[in-house]
Amino acid sequence: MTTGTIHHRDKFLQTIAKKLGRNQRTTGVTRPHWKHQPQWSVFKGFSQDDLIEAFKSQCSRIHTDVVETTADQLAAALKQVVAGYGGGPVVTWDDPRFVEYGLSPLLQEEWPSEKIDVHVWNAAIGQKNIEFAEKANVGITFSDITLAESGTVVLFSSSGKGRTVSFLPQTYVAIVPKSTFVPRMTQAAVFIHERIEKGEPIPSCINFITGPSNSADIEMNLVVGVHGPIKATYIIVKDR
Amino acid sequence: MPMKIGTGEFKERVDKGIHNSFMRGAVAGAQERLRTRRLEAAEELGNWEEWRALGEEIRKHTLENLDYYLWQLSENVAKRGGHVFFAQTAEEANEYIRDVVVKKNAKKIVKSKSMVTEEINLNPVLEAAGCEVIETDLGEYILQIDDHDPPSHIVAPALHKNKEQIRDVFKAKLNYKKTENPEELALHARHTLRQAYLTADVGITGCNFAIAESGSITLVTNEGNADLVTALPKTQITVMGMERIVPTFEEMEVLVSLLTRSAVGQKLTSYITVLTGPRDQGDVDGPEEFHLVIVDNGRSNILGTEFQSVLQCIRCAACVNVCPVYRHIGGHSYGSIYSGPIGAVLSPLLGGYDDYKELPYASTLCAACTEACPVKIPLHELLHKHRQVIVEREGKAPISEKLAMKAFGLGAASSALYKLGSKLAPSAMNPFTVNNRISNGPGPLKAWTEIREFPAPGKERFRDWFHNRQKGDHQS
Amino acid sequence: MKVTLFVTCLVDLFHTNVGKATVELLERLGCEIEFPEAQTCCGQPAYNSGYVKEAKEAMKHMIRTFEHAEYIVTPSGSCATMFKEYPHIFKGDPEWEPRAKALADKTYELTQFIVDVLKIENVGAKLKGRATYHTSCHMTRLLGVKDAPMKLLKNVDGLEFVPLPNSHNCCGFGGTFSVKMGPISEQMVDEKIHHIEEVNADYLIGADCGCLMNIGGRIERQGKPIKVMHIAEVLNSR
Repeated sequence: MTTGTIHHRDKFLQTIAKKLGRNQRTTGVTRPHWKHQPQWSVFKGFSQDDLIEAFKSQCSRIHTDVVETTADQLAAALKQVVAGYGGGPVVTWDDPRFVEYGLSPLLQEEWPSEKIDVHVWNAAIGQKNIEFAEKANVGITFSDITLAESGTVVLFSSSGKGRTVSFLPQTYVAIVPKSTFVPRMTQAAVFIHERIEKGEPIPSCINFITGPSNSADIEMNLVVGVHGPIKATYIIVKDR
Repeated sequence: MPMKIGTGEFKERVDKGIHNSFMRGAVAGAQERLRTRRLEAAEELGNWEEWRALGEEIRKHTLENLDYYLWQLSENVAKRGGHVFFAQTAEEANEYIRDVVVKKNAKKIVKSKSMVTEEINLNPVLEAAGCEVIETDLGEYILQIDDHDPPSHIVAPALHKNKEQIRDVFKAKLNYKKTENPEELALHARHTLRQAYLTADVGITGCNFAIAESGSITLVTNEGNADLVTALPKTQITVMGMERIVPTFEEMEVLVSLLTRSAVGQKLTSYITVLTGPRDQGDVDGPEEFHLVIVDNGRSNILGTEFQSVLQCIRCAACVNVCPVYRHIGGHSYGSIYSGPIGAVLSPLLGGYDDYKELPYASTLCAACTEACPVKIPLHELLHKHRQVIVEREGKAPISEKLAMKAFGLGAASSALYKLGSKLAPSAMNPFTVNNRISNGPGPLKAWTEIREFPAPGKERFRDWFHNRQKGDHQS
Repeated sequence: MKVTLFVTCLVDLFHTNVGKATVELLERLGCEIEFPEAQTCCGQPAYNSGYVKEAKEAMKHMIRTFEHAEYIVTPSGSCATMFKEYPHIFKGDPEWEPRAKALADKTYELTQFIVDVLKIENVGAKLKGRATYHTSCHMTRLLGVKDAPMKLLKNVDGLEFVPLPNSHNCCGFGGTFSVKMGPISEQMVDEKIHHIEEVNADYLIGADCGCLMNIGGRIERQGKPIKVMHIAEVLNSR
């Protein structure tokens, strides 16, 4: 990767240092140990099952449907949800979990045989992916981390995991394995922070998605579905 | 538009606000709703004061070490292939952004909501360079197509407009044929803006929090517009006020939790997006080129002064949503894109006292703002400090007031003078007194009695009664 | 118990009945009242207008006048708050900061003193009618006294208490704000009165003469049949 450029930094930062009444600092600052850390007390001691219950109750407040299923019933559940949204076209990530969770027959055979178009994200064809996503009725991704408190799925982008799968289609479905549940954003932030500390690169896009797109800009009336998906469903896989 | 909005004197703007009954109804309704939702969200956490204390500590530490964290941020952005431009002034920022846009030969630009780009008045510069600039936040979009009506609230910019007005604007400007139903209006905007995202050359965003440790920027929306603005165009330009930064993901998380709860009472908004550099190699969506413009524009002059804490602000508008003055006069009265208590503190600092000298007085110092602030900015104290500066340093207070206060200082510091003055008060007020009431008072009382009755000073002061009573006690 | 009364300038000059009621009430509750005649004003009018230098002169005078006291009690949440602010205002002043702090530490708003120090919640008052209470901003937000007036009012015989809608909103007084920003103040006080009428209250009760002068003065101008009372007067009704 080529390194970017930095313009006009010195004078800018020197001005700040001067106003703060000291010399400029480029090293030697450590974060203090914050005196209060209330974020850790949320859902402290909760089991995965407790977290799922909290998550479900939050989802009822964010206009998001929740379906619970098991790995062997997942394909059927997903099929039903997509049918409920009026069928295809469908766009999904190119994510090995679709294979691991036994969804290949659905994506590759069942849906095509029912004339439901399925597009699996394919970096090799570039811009065409976006055209598919834009026309899709349903976008499907897995959740990488799931936040119980807020009803949030966290998505890490990569070449197979296009950002727009969760934004451009009319509706959005996230598959949420039980093992991805954490209490809240705190645990996700620590996970990412630790990766950075170890010198590992983080994805160029990390999305925290909490239900469908909405706006209250017109007379404070909540309108669900503005720029992004109009409806959303989370399918919890209870045994993975 | 620039930070300064509207025309006319403060008094005229207030008069206009007070007589806009739709706006006042909308503001009162929004205040009730947002205040209640914020309180419920805080209540649900159960330890809100600890959260506020943490938020304050993070913001204070970051500001104390702002040069360090901005240095770290810029290094990390560059490492990921992004470009960083430090802009001392609005002009420098606009010039850089215009140059990028011209170099890209861009014709169409989509923007997500950003107060700082309003503050530096970016859009006209880009339009003058031949670009079509499209705001994509629904509220901002409505204002933009209505001939650039200024925002009246930092979170809900079109709060002052009703749906019938919005329908009429859509009809006039977008060939809209449906009703004032918000869902129909929003759907129409969805279709129009979807095409804009897909065909735009450049996406411009603000920045809720930059993350120093990774060179990331965080965008917080409910609509998801910032995601499309950053996912589809080939070039992304993000503009941030220099104070909008946190050390690591861990602090970003805390401040986002405070922001969404304080702004709209949500645990998180629908979309929190953390972007690091341009797209990764092999990615299909996301920008090929990423520019981060860090803006000072007067902020460094606030550092190291008694007003430094105002830079802790995370732009949640909780203070706006509880302000009893904003409630009756609306955002446009402030004459600044930053309205409410935070606007009354910030606007004079960024724009000077000449334009904004009335704002620090447009407050009863009731402290509702200070109580609501999630990062504990002592807003009412800062309004008071402004008054002190206006009196002591700027010398902008009226002469009559100065004399009166001088007299107050002398009178209240001397029991003899106070006693004499208070003894003479009833006879001085006698000509104006009817039935122990003053309905049309002289001097400073005039403004009071235009609205209310004023009690006439009693012939017997409390101290006289007490004195006589004690004497009576001794005699008996 | 010996109580030093800081009666406030508004009460001294305009609302003498509030001062009288405060004295009678505290005496009935077993206190011995002292009134330092040298007292003037807490300095708030000048301070809040930005005239800190002038205000400080008044403050020093008040410190001198009251520092001998054991308990300083005042029938005003806002003026009590001002005393509590003194240490902050004299911060860094080696002579006056400690004296200000000592003063602040023994200052109490009237209802706070009755409930927290005297440990009395029923003062044996009687008043017939329907009443609502205006929570003044400085008293609730800055002084932090929220419950004491409610506890005392609840025990007033014959008084039917109704909560005031939107009680968190300021009444529009704000000292010089009420005259400098008259048109805004007018809207604020009108909304306050609207809410008082909404609950059909016979009495509006408050613990700050500034707010009561504003609300009461407007009610009187409009000729509305609502009686405005200071909480000291209510608690002294028998």
